[in-house]
Amino acid sequence: MKNDIPLFLLNTPSSHPPKRGGGKINISYIDKSIESFAGILKESYIQWESASKTGFFHELDTRIKVVFWLFLIVIISLKKELLPELGIFITVFTLVVLSRINLVKFYKKIFLLGFIFGFLISFPSSLNVITHGEVLFPIITLSKPYDFWGYHIPEVIGFTGEGFSVVAMLTLRVLNSLSISFLILYTTPFPEIIKALKVLKVPDTFLIIISLAYKYIFIFARIVVDMHLAKKNRLVSAVKSAEARNWVAGRIAFIFRKTQLKCDDVFKAMVGRGFSGKIKLYQYQKIMGRDWIVGFFLFTLGLLFLWV
Amino acid sequence: MHIPDGYLSPQTFVPLYGASFVFWAVALKKLKKELSAKYIPYLAMAAAFSFLIMMFNVPIPGGTTGHAVGAGIIAILLGPWAAVLAVSVVLIIQAIVFGDGGITAIGANCFNMAVVMPFVSYWVFKLVKGNAKGGARFYAAAFLAGWIGLSVASVAAGFEFGIQPMIASGPDGKPLYAPYPLSIAVPAMAIEHMLVFGIVEGMVTALILKYFVKHESELVYATKEA
Repeated sequence: MKNDIPLFLLNTPSSHPPKRGGGKINISYIDKSIESFAGILKESYIQWESASKTGFFHELDTRIKVVFWLFLIVIISLKKELLPELGIFITVFTLVVLSRINLVKFYKKIFLLGFIFGFLISFPSSLNVITHGEVLFPIITLSKPYDFWGYHIPEVIGFTGEGFSVVAMLTLRVLNSLSISFLILYTTPFPEIIKALKVLKVPDTFLIIISLAYKYIFIFARIVVDMHLAKKNRLVSAVKSAEARNWVAGRIAFIFRKTQLKCDDVFKAMVGRGFSGKIKLYQYQKIMGRDWIVGFFLFTLGLLFLWV
Repeated sequence: MHIPDGYLSPQTFVPLYGASFVFWAVALKKLKKELSAKYIPYLAMAAAFSFLIMMFNVPIPGGTTGHAVGAGIIAILLGPWAAVLAVSVVLIIQAIVFGDGGITAIGANCFNMAVVMPFVSYWVFKLVKGNAKGGARFYAAAFLAGWIGLSVASVAAGFEFGIQPMIASGPDGKPLYAPYPLSIAVPAMAIEHMLVFGIVEGMVTALILKYFVKHESELVYATKEA
């Protein structure tokens, strides 16, 4: 007897992932995209949740935090010795502890990023091929030194003390910059950070564009996750590569169209609320006495690091 | 290609902030004139779109997936000046919220990915496509726009890294910032971007443009212009 059950439902499902090749592609691109977009949503939620708690840095005026953050970032990039960088690391660590941030989660992320962008990128420079100096750990000995196309390969290739010091310096700089940046982010809501940039004379127009973009990134990211989940739910096997590419391009076009429609809606809403083209963000309240004292202490500490 | 904090000396990141600032000011002025008061939501939505386009994993021939920087396709879709601001906003958000790229390096990253890349991609596209409105030449132009745009931006980043040992070394000759000289930094950045990431960028640019031209051709800035 003929039934109306679609053919794909009658096939025995395979526990193995679809193979590549033959013009077909597995559906990993959907999973990867879901992971990317869900990662943004997750990260913003963690930051928002952490920023809404109470702690030493949470309660500090955002303007003081933002100016201290940028001040310290500049000091970190100016310092050329390991000792002040270590001092900065310990200072930020103390601020993280005082702010009652989960140390394991916080430093897990910092060390991972620091390892990739600080250590891994700079590590090859510890070889005497790049940083000259006394070889502490030889790894290869050639029959003779080589010179070609302006490159010099010494007879003994190995790690130098000077090279290790460069790697340590760059890794510490990256770790310090990330630590202070994430400390601010985990203790301050992002819109507040953007608003506080007003004290640095960043134009209101630019700040409002960043704030609006940030808000809509999450709204559209949610839509994209839903589109991918819906697609994944409808797929039962590998799809043709060209078909998959066409689908992704279609979703990008859909998001583009959606952003354009939203642009019109937002503009109409702005006009409806009396927008005449002039942008003015509201000023903050006055900075409290406690914030001035903490701010003074932090900036003195910063100056100390600058001077050391 | 996001440069982290600590790799560029102040002698490099301060002028690059200045250069980016000039492009931001001109772009803002141009768009304000073109779109009147609507430029604010327009740029915000363009930035949101630019951010999202970078997150899509696109299946590419060969069975793997990749994602693009997207500055090239954004310049073709929205115009190079809108791309300057949209991609810059994205890079600023990425640096502050996700730690992708340093705070001191925002100027440099914006210069490479939000100024150099959109303009190179846009002009390569215009130059190669000529009067073509479709067909092989048109899509080859889109591929080359993405590929060359990213490659040139990577060379710019490599150059910024490579000059550090020359302009910022200790008295003993020890590099204080990015340690690789021009002879290593530029080829390293150029080769990996020309052979791997640039090809993915080119494919993604051509793929997205192909869809737009087929279904939403009226939305493409680069084909609207005479």
